[in-house]
Amino acid sequence: MAIALVVLAFGDEAPIAGTVKAIDASANTLTLQTTAKGKTRDVTILLKPDSKIVKFARATEPGKTGFVEQPLTVSDLKPGWVVSVTTKHESGKEIAEVVNVILEK
Amino acid sequence: MRAKLFMSLVCAALVLLLGLWLAHPPASRANGDKDKHEEKGGHAHVPAPTEYADVHVPLSVWTDAAMIARGKEIYTTRCAVCHSDSGDGKGPAGLALPLKPADFRDRDGVAEMRDNYWFWRVSEGGQVEPFKGKGSAMPPWKGQLPIEDRWAVMAYQHTFSGHQGPHVPWEHPKSVAMGRDIYAMACVMCHGVDGKGDGSVGPMLSPRRAPQPRDFTSAEFKFRSTPSGQLPTTADLFRTVTEGVRSSGGPMTIGLRGHRIMPSFRYMPEAQRLEVIEYIKSLNRGFWERREIKTVAVPAAPPVTPERLTRGKRLYADAECLACHGERGRGDGPSAPTLKDNRDLPIAATDLTKPERFKNGARPENVYRTLVTGLAGTPMPSYADSLEPDQVWDLAFYVLSLSRGGRTAEEGLRVVR
Repeated sequence: MAIALVVLAFGDEAPIAGTVKAIDASANTLTLQTTAKGKTRDVTILLKPDSKIVKFARATEPGKTGFVEQPLTVSDLKPGWVVSVTTKHESGKEIAEVVNVILEK
Repeated sequence: MRAKLFMSLVCAALVLLLGLWLAHPPASRANGDKDKHEEKGGHAHVPAPTEYADVHVPLSVWTDAAMIARGKEIYTTRCAVCHSDSGDGKGPAGLALPLKPADFRDRDGVAEMRDNYWFWRVSEGGQVEPFKGKGSAMPPWKGQLPIEDRWAVMAYQHTFSGHQGPHVPWEHPKSVAMGRDIYAMACVMCHGVDGKGDGSVGPMLSPRRAPQPRDFTSAEFKFRSTPSGQLPTTADLFRTVTEGVRSSGGPMTIGLRGHRIMPSFRYMPEAQRLEVIEYIKSLNRGFWERREIKTVAVPAAPPVTPERLTRGKRLYADAECLACHGERGRGDGPSAPTLKDNRDLPIAATDLTKPERFKNGARPENVYRTLVTGLAGTPMPSYADSLEPDQVWDLAFYVLSLSRGGRTAEEGLRVVR
């Protein structure tokens, strides 16, 4: 039970926001430079087949306003982009659930 | 027995984990803590740094329909994805951010933001502290949007708050509330409730004589890096608040270390000094009405040579410094007894042999700046138009060479070196 609670306590799924530092399409990983509590660190996030990568664009259909999701692939991401990633911990790794592109540079 | 020990250990572990959970809830770990205000899309309320503190948005921008329309166009394409079309900070990309985007419909939150803070945030985004450390993903727009475009975006964002009129401290007293409280504790005795320099203690500092406490509502500030007749920069005010003002005052100044007529606030936290300066600025609309701020450049100090001091001595006579300050710089020139300030109060010519009492500082660059800017409201003129920079250095070093009992130029050379 104690072990389960440890996993529960530290298995956060909080979003991580940062700048894309590197993309390894062959390994399906994304390295983000992120700052938390005043410390800048690099976080490598594993992208699984069910991980979503999206950006938001203005709806182009007549009469529609607001934003629509546009799916992207890992190869669409570029270093320097600002993204926010919701993750989960699995086997000591950060696994991406959804990658939201905040800013394309 | 073993079972009891095991159960005790399990209970202790549970309590420890519960404590950890409460101290660091999961959502706060990845990108820093969120206080209550941030949870509702607020801001870290810190003063803008001095390089942004003087960037006040022109008053007309906030209500200019063309600027607001221009701001809307930019906002819609660049900001709405996080801040949303309605400005509530719940745009689709913003929802997943660890630090929530600002809610511009939060009337109180907007009222607390000063225009220079707002401009700083738009310009630097999350690239600067304290926002960087909190994990802000806000992009810096200074490289992509010219100043006017950033003002236009702010003007459009301001419309979400429902406030009509310019976004200035006299419309939003909350934005300078902390500075006002500090002012009430530390400044009001001398500078008065309205900042007119008419506090109850002020006249006792230097009875019936200059200097008197500054009237912040007037355009005359003595200690500036700006040309004659202009308001000081925030950095100038910060320097004065930090250093205090040196002068030989009346009995009320006894105990103000180093012959200060205004105490030094160097031990007040920097953020609080900046807050009180923002309040002081809010007492004078001129800070919002001025457009271009030029500051006096102080070139690198040249080497001090006997020739430079000889030239400085000649300039001291030619520029009529000795009329007030006297031949040996003791403040006993023929005009000294007749000098008056702009309040028609008798004012003493500074004794140049006592640099520890130079009101604007006694480092060579301080003396250079004083010679170029003059001291507004006093008979001390600006020499910006009559002396070349190298001549100003000649004069500055000669003035410094006069210290300690009117030494000769050659003796002064050793002092300056």
